[in-house]
Amino acid sequence: MGFKLPLKEMEDIAERDDAALDQLKKRLMGAAAVILVFFGIIVLRLWTLQINSGKEYAQRAYSNRVREREVAAPRGHILDRKGKEIVTNRPSFNVVLIKEDSTNLGDVLTRLSPVLKMDVSELWEKIRKSAGSPKYLPVRLKEDIDWKTLAYLENHNHEFSGIRTEVQPVRVYHYGNLAANTLGYLGIISKKELEKADQKIYKGSDLIGKAGLEKLRERDLRGEKGIYFSEVNARGFEQQLLKSVEPLPGREIHLTLDVELQQIAESYMEAGEKSGAVVAMEVNTGRLLTVVSSPSIRIEDFIGGISVKNWKALLENPKHPLINKVVQASYPPGSTYKMVTALAGLAKGVIDEDTVFYCPGHYRFGNRTYRCWKHSGHGPVNLKKAISQSCDVYFYQVGQRVGVDGLAEFARKLGLGKKTGVEMEHEKSGLVPTKEWKLRVKKKKWQEGETLSIAIGQGFDLVTPLQMCVMTATIANGGKVYRPQLVEKVVDPEGNIVENFKPEIVNELVGLDRFFKLIREGMEEVVQGKRGTARRVAIKNLRIGGKTGTAQVVKIAQYRHLKEANIPYRYRDHAWFTCFAPAEKPEIAVTVLVEHGLHGGSGAGPIARAVLKEYFYNRLHNKEVSEEQ
Amino acid sequence: MIKIDRRLFENFDIILMLFICLVCTMALFNLYSASYPPKAYGTPAYIRQSYFFLMGFGVFLFLISFDYQELHSWNYPFYVLIVALLIFVYFAGAKAGGAQRWINLGFFKLQPSEPAKLMLVITLASFYSRKEVVDGYSITQLVIPVLLTALPFLLILLQPDLGTALMLGIIFVSMTVFVKLRMSTYLTMGGLALVLGVFAWEKVLKPYQKQRIQTLFSPDNDPMGHGYQVLQSKIAIGSGGKFGKGYLEGTQGHLHFLPERHTDFAFAVWGEEWGFAGSLIFLGIYFMMLLWGIHVAMEAKDRFGVLLAYGVVMLIFWQAVINLLMILGFLPVVGIPLPLVSYGGSSLLTTMLGLGILMNVRMRRFQNLQPEP
Repeated sequence: MGFKLPLKEMEDIAERDDAALDQLKKRLMGAAAVILVFFGIIVLRLWTLQINSGKEYAQRAYSNRVREREVAAPRGHILDRKGKEIVTNRPSFNVVLIKEDSTNLGDVLTRLSPVLKMDVSELWEKIRKSAGSPKYLPVRLKEDIDWKTLAYLENHNHEFSGIRTEVQPVRVYHYGNLAANTLGYLGIISKKELEKADQKIYKGSDLIGKAGLEKLRERDLRGEKGIYFSEVNARGFEQQLLKSVEPLPGREIHLTLDVELQQIAESYMEAGEKSGAVVAMEVNTGRLLTVVSSPSIRIEDFIGGISVKNWKALLENPKHPLINKVVQASYPPGSTYKMVTALAGLAKGVIDEDTVFYCPGHYRFGNRTYRCWKHSGHGPVNLKKAISQSCDVYFYQVGQRVGVDGLAEFARKLGLGKKTGVEMEHEKSGLVPTKEWKLRVKKKKWQEGETLSIAIGQGFDLVTPLQMCVMTATIANGGKVYRPQLVEKVVDPEGNIVENFKPEIVNELVGLDRFFKLIREGMEEVVQGKRGTARRVAIKNLRIGGKTGTAQVVKIAQYRHLKEANIPYRYRDHAWFTCFAPAEKPEIAVTVLVEHGLHGGSGAGPIARAVLKEYFYNRLHNKEVSEEQ
Repeated sequence: MIKIDRRLFENFDIILMLFICLVCTMALFNLYSASYPPKAYGTPAYIRQSYFFLMGFGVFLFLISFDYQELHSWNYPFYVLIVALLIFVYFAGAKAGGAQRWINLGFFKLQPSEPAKLMLVITLASFYSRKEVVDGYSITQLVIPVLLTALPFLLILLQPDLGTALMLGIIFVSMTVFVKLRMSTYLTMGGLALVLGVFAWEKVLKPYQKQRIQTLFSPDNDPMGHGYQVLQSKIAIGSGGKFGKGYLEGTQGHLHFLPERHTDFAFAVWGEEWGFAGSLIFLGIYFMMLLWGIHVAMEAKDRFGVLLAYGVVMLIFWQAVINLLMILGFLPVVGIPLPLVSYGGSSLLTTMLGLGILMNVRMRRFQNLQPEP
């Protein structure tokens, strides 16, 4: 080490100044004191953090790293009576933002925008809307992204802090709009619904049944949400699952509906662009096999919430697709009501099998003339002929003798004028008028002439297609009024049957078997008879009993003389057809209402025929084979 | 002349060595946990730090073989070299995180501002021991040490590295106040500091630096911003409780809630995993080492030895205190490592150099008192 700088002070150093050195060393005591003081401060600080507030910080550390995440439960499936899946679920992947976990949100959104094919402003808007919600709750940026987008986001997750994908089950409709008005749809829970709902179960963005069975069976279908507790790092990436409560899927609902029958009925209604309803029911159980309301809602419009535009279009559609015409619309029953009059006449002893009235084509009552639909008249008419040819004059006279309250009594016994109790929303009770009713509601005395209109199903009478079907089934089974059933059983995820369908008799008409048989014979003639009004409904090898009906929409004389095709659509009469089969041992009742369909036989009959053909397909087919052999 | 005679070994301070080794061992263990789970790529921090420890001990042994008096002559070339490096860094240094502080040597990124701290200690110790003033230094006598400090101070401030620059200021103040000053000098210096401080706040400090200082007073009000680090470090330490969560069991560090957990916030990992008891043991040993350094200064045989030992202890002490108060939420977050504990080669090598000087002073405390035979 030969290197040395010439520093002249160096020479002084050799002569040490012991006094100055001692003074300097005394100051070192001060330095040591400073060190000790700071040591004390630091230890005191550690004491407050670790001993005094240790528990509080431990709690904060826990909430720091543990995220509680709810996982939506797969909603219960809906199946038909044969176990065919009508509505199930599939996973939908949503892109969400956890505000708490995001850093550099602006950058992230700029990079996310092309990936999601959304404008940055659109993304900001979604975030702004969620301003009030807690920072750890996910804000949905985009729903149901495709696999490519999902894969990209998963692979590049480090570039998108705070952005996550979450899985959410969404409904899959295997048969499209099948029974859409009955099954209903889901939607995001509204503020109003949320206020009423159990806060422990529902949260802000949850889906909830908005209509139909999805709403009525919400409790069964919803299942229970799962909760995942996962450890996340500071950038919001999940490190590991700490514990989880797996979601409990909703219960399966097995319907009484038959998918194939339903499809046939719907396709026939759709093909003719018909507006109206079709109901098919098991005569001896009350199980509904088909419930069609046409036109139906388009279920795809409702997935993920319906747009205002679509909703408005639905509301303004003159054919009212939002109304479930099976129960929510009531119509004058027309001639189908004649069975009520017949039963009342028979039961009250006013007529019997052989009672004959003469029909000259009109009937004078008081100072008015009441016409028969056949102006030339039916001549002498007994009960069977009266039903099969729908003679108005015959039923005017029966009705007149029974009186309006007597008609009402039997109409009610057959299930008209009150709700059937089916599991459908907003069911109408229809209307069975009485003297008392008119006085109470219309504030007017009953006119005897009005009874004549009631007797043939015009005037104040109103029934729903479902009520008509229930009535038909009651006639077919000899007096048992069943509550129509839509749900056969409810099965929980473990396979246990939670609720099982049992036929439920609402009312039973005892001792009237003989009369029902007579009515059924008359109804058989409607289809099988040479002059029956529904001859075209007949199916080879199958005996059917039925009744047509025409419900007047307006009583405007000016249209009476026009050809049917020239009457404006909205003034045309509604067409009814209700029937049961096989006549000898009835199993199924089918009721069809076609709005503005003009005539029961031509407007509604073919649809009922198609449903029956499908229902009896195997049996008809085998019979034909056996005949050929 | 390299002189390693028998007496030097006899005077080798086992206690000082023991403190250093204990702290280094605990630091390495802590670093393993702080960089756990290890990244899939690159050499883990604790392995790299182990290399630096070995290099550090090499430097340490090399340094104690000289007589510290040689530093009088080595000081100015050293000073010029560091300043040259700082200028080099300013023009051509490696950038990271918006600052330009490093010289990339390939195997190692040298941060010249780290040895600059030690260089200032030696420079001032040399200056104040050579210029002995009986009735205290006047303000004019302090012009040279102020300039010697100001040059590297400004160069580091430009990088920008506020924390390290402030450390140079603290070293200057510690050493200058330690030697005798006249009362008028105190007043003038104090006044100057005030004026410069206001000027700096208004004109020099960048907004983020000001914010850091402001954050100090209300870290909880800005949990996602600048207060985040402090809050997270408090949560990590506080959640350690009495006895900690156990080695490698700390969640806040491992889940990256704790920022810079292997560098500036390394002690928070220790606090979380070992709790109050463990922190007390660690800090106890650490501060005992510093107090032992004061003891070394007291027994130094000359003014230069005293100033060197004192300066080295203060260098380590202030960094440690600022770092600890920072992660405990008492001081703004400025980039000051905890010597020997925080990851970083430059800091570690500088500290080991300093401790080598301390040991050197210790070993030669009797040298000139007993004439050589």
